[in-house]
Amino acid sequence: MRRILSLCVLLAVPLCAQDVKVTTHTLSNGMKILVHEDHDVPNVALYFFYKIGSRNEKPGTTGISHYFEHMMFNGAKKYGPKQFDIEMEKNGGSNNAYTSRDVTVYTDWFPKHTMELMFDMEADRIRDLSFDPKIVESERGVVYSERRTSVDNNPAGVLDEQLSAAAYTAHPYQWPVVGWASDIEAWTMDDLKAHFKMGYAPNNCLMVVSGDVTPAEVLALAKKYIEPIPAQPPPPPIRTMEPEQLGERRVTVRRPAQLPMVMISYHIPRTRHADSASLELLETLLSTGRSSRLYRRLVETDQLALNIRAGSQPSLDPGQFEFSAQVRSGKSPADLEKAIYEELAKLAKDGVPAEELEKARNQSLANLYRQLKTIAGKANLLGTYEVFFGDWNMVNKAAGELEKVTPADIQRVAAKYFTEKNRTVATLIPESKGSAQ
Amino acid sequence: MRTQALIVFLSVLSAVTVFGQAKLPAYSKQSLPNGATLIMLRKPDVPLVSVSVLFRGGSEAVAAEKTGLAAITAELLRRGTEKRTAEQINGQLDALGAVMSSGSDAQSSMVAVEFTTRTSAKALEILSDLLLHPAFPDAEFKKVLAQRIDGVKSSKDNPARSIGQYFNPFVYPAGHPYARPSMGDETTLARITRDDVAGFFKTNYVGRNMILIAAGDFDPAQLGAQLSQMASALPAGEAFPAPKVAPVQYASGRLLLIDKPDATQTYFRIAMPGVDRYSRDRVPLMIINTLFGGRFTSMLNDALRVNAGLTYGAGSQVIMDRAPGVIYINTYTRTETTGKAIDMALDVLKSLREEGLSPEQLASAKAYIKGGFPTQRLETADQLANVIGDLEVFGLNKGEIDDFFSSIDAVTVERANAVVKRYFTDANLQFLLVGNASKIQDAVKKYAPKMKVVPVSAPGFSAPAF
Repeated sequence: MRRILSLCVLLAVPLCAQDVKVTTHTLSNGMKILVHEDHDVPNVALYFFYKIGSRNEKPGTTGISHYFEHMMFNGAKKYGPKQFDIEMEKNGGSNNAYTSRDVTVYTDWFPKHTMELMFDMEADRIRDLSFDPKIVESERGVVYSERRTSVDNNPAGVLDEQLSAAAYTAHPYQWPVVGWASDIEAWTMDDLKAHFKMGYAPNNCLMVVSGDVTPAEVLALAKKYIEPIPAQPPPPPIRTMEPEQLGERRVTVRRPAQLPMVMISYHIPRTRHADSASLELLETLLSTGRSSRLYRRLVETDQLALNIRAGSQPSLDPGQFEFSAQVRSGKSPADLEKAIYEELAKLAKDGVPAEELEKARNQSLANLYRQLKTIAGKANLLGTYEVFFGDWNMVNKAAGELEKVTPADIQRVAAKYFTEKNRTVATLIPESKGSAQ
Repeated sequence: MRTQALIVFLSVLSAVTVFGQAKLPAYSKQSLPNGATLIMLRKPDVPLVSVSVLFRGGSEAVAAEKTGLAAITAELLRRGTEKRTAEQINGQLDALGAVMSSGSDAQSSMVAVEFTTRTSAKALEILSDLLLHPAFPDAEFKKVLAQRIDGVKSSKDNPARSIGQYFNPFVYPAGHPYARPSMGDETTLARITRDDVAGFFKTNYVGRNMILIAAGDFDPAQLGAQLSQMASALPAGEAFPAPKVAPVQYASGRLLLIDKPDATQTYFRIAMPGVDRYSRDRVPLMIINTLFGGRFTSMLNDALRVNAGLTYGAGSQVIMDRAPGVIYINTYTRTETTGKAIDMALDVLKSLREEGLSPEQLASAKAYIKGGFPTQRLETADQLANVIGDLEVFGLNKGEIDDFFSSIDAVTVERANAVVKRYFTDANLQFLLVGNASKIQDAVKKYAPKMKVVPVSAPGFSAPAF
């Protein structure tokens, strides 16, 4: 991520089915555009989803997608170093960006009258990014600092990195999006240029616009600024598929800490799979809200954990369903693990009562619809559906997909994926280290 | 007290900007016989209702040795009533798809719930039960206390989180109502009793402290009747007597270094005295802070991140609460570049003070604040409820929002630079660092005449005597 987001607490609830209207268009160079009109505030959210992420990297250059995300703000032909941010902010806009295993996303928010400037600047950096060796070095320091904050000085960051590294033996999802420290120190100018050429073609990008606009306005600007940029060959397909896991894997991290931590990962299919809706409801049943099964058992009843998170990220290739919990003082990680396995086994053995599934359905819909409260939330959701499901209209179909899931589906899916053989466990064990006086 | 609706409902569409001026949509405000204030704002674009209940008197209404009591009380509201267990409350809220949050800040205690329009009656019945008949069950009290103490320990494993907890006890003098970590600490939490919770509730959750705000898609007549019935059932009580607090002053520079021996990065803040929420300099300070450390192209981020690559981010904040607060620089860098980053931050501070701001900088900051304002503060019902709640807690009027853009426009370069000189000082700065003391303490002691080192493993977040 380019900057730390201050996460506002948005409250959610299920709504009746919403009809989110979108106008689509594909430019002659292959860039697809989604436009959603919302005139509630005089602002616009403009998102670019480049279909390139850490899965497109290789050992030696891990983290370069994320590093490149930073470089996209460091100057192009018409708007030189710093100009993207200076021009944007002085016209009332702000921006951020994020990189995942699968995508690199640029997010611009601005008052309506700034839109033409934004198209001009976005086109400039897609077409003519510059690579100043001095800036390349300086940005390396910035990314390293980001790694130190999100991973090296954050127990959850370290443990999660070790978990994925153990869960995958072959597929590129094994390395962290931010990159291994040694690769951050080592990547070269040539690596950067090759990455730009591989991923930053208009035909490898989706544009989403949401806010105080009309499709005609957006299209006119896209034709003027973006359409002249030529298409390029897309990134090569990822050939390596993760082989089936043949038994439980365990990792231990020992470092100074006040409390232990446990993370557990199970392999699951990619997002575009028939079991996705069931897995989403399983996530809700297990850990959304204080009445969810794991929260009740671990946090409230047995008081083994300070918190519990469960769930998966959208993914283009087979991904992970992860559990993460901070262990309470005086409690053992082993007992916490055992309690999680018991709850998962219960779902696989007994399934779920219809009433509880209905509650989860309402909550899942809530999680979806709360993202529709803002123009930024809508831009991100539409883009995510388009990239990972191949269909932005999932925003209107999601309620129906959740509705189709039966208690039998939940039971089958829990039994299929939450097995010992398919499991990787990472445990953080606190060790003491002397303190200077 | 008057019982009178001051403003009637207007049809509220998307009237956020009028001639480029951001405005609050129309809302109704009435005072109930027990002193409570009831505010309703219709925003029917999404079938959701957000209800926030605020009580004046947050952590500043608590004795220092029991810091954390206001937050624990707010949490315990949802952990059992005379007729519902905590588990029943959780199950019923989740079944409705309602989401509840509760907590406290320096000025207020708060419980908020968001629910769908069609589940209004049931959601409000639960909320009323929590507010009017809390039982504070002993088992739940003990559980919450133990959880919070472990929460404190957990935060100490992550310096980006813990530095915020060490900050207030260090920059405010002992006895100051803000000289407390927001979450409490291992020692203060351990002193809280269930009677303290019941007592805090009885004293502070009363009509004269209460501000009830509903925003969203609802029928005003129906919801208004339910809300005023709920609010009126609380006793009037005594309004929280907000103490007069003198502005922070520092007689000498100080440096507190929290030793985290495994840290590979030093997190630091540099503080100086600031202003309260009523200061006539508040709008110029917002503009100055935007330029100094409040956005990506700010002076601090430009120097430390963009030019030098020393950090992932550098910024500044102006804390404006009921009592005068502080202004501080906030960043981090790898252990080896700690001195370099502090020097650079101080250089930026010096250049702000000595060179001042240019007309171009000022114009850019003004456009930036205005451009983001609609989506940051006025886009959703819960944002609007927060904005209005803030005005009420601080006793500010609607002009704070409705005239905000013209107040921004009125700030001249001369005015801004006079305000810079008034607050951005290099005298007696207060340095808080979390990092590996054995590697940095020799290098950083030059920044202040007084330095103390405290191990992160020491209980609590309190600052040592200097």
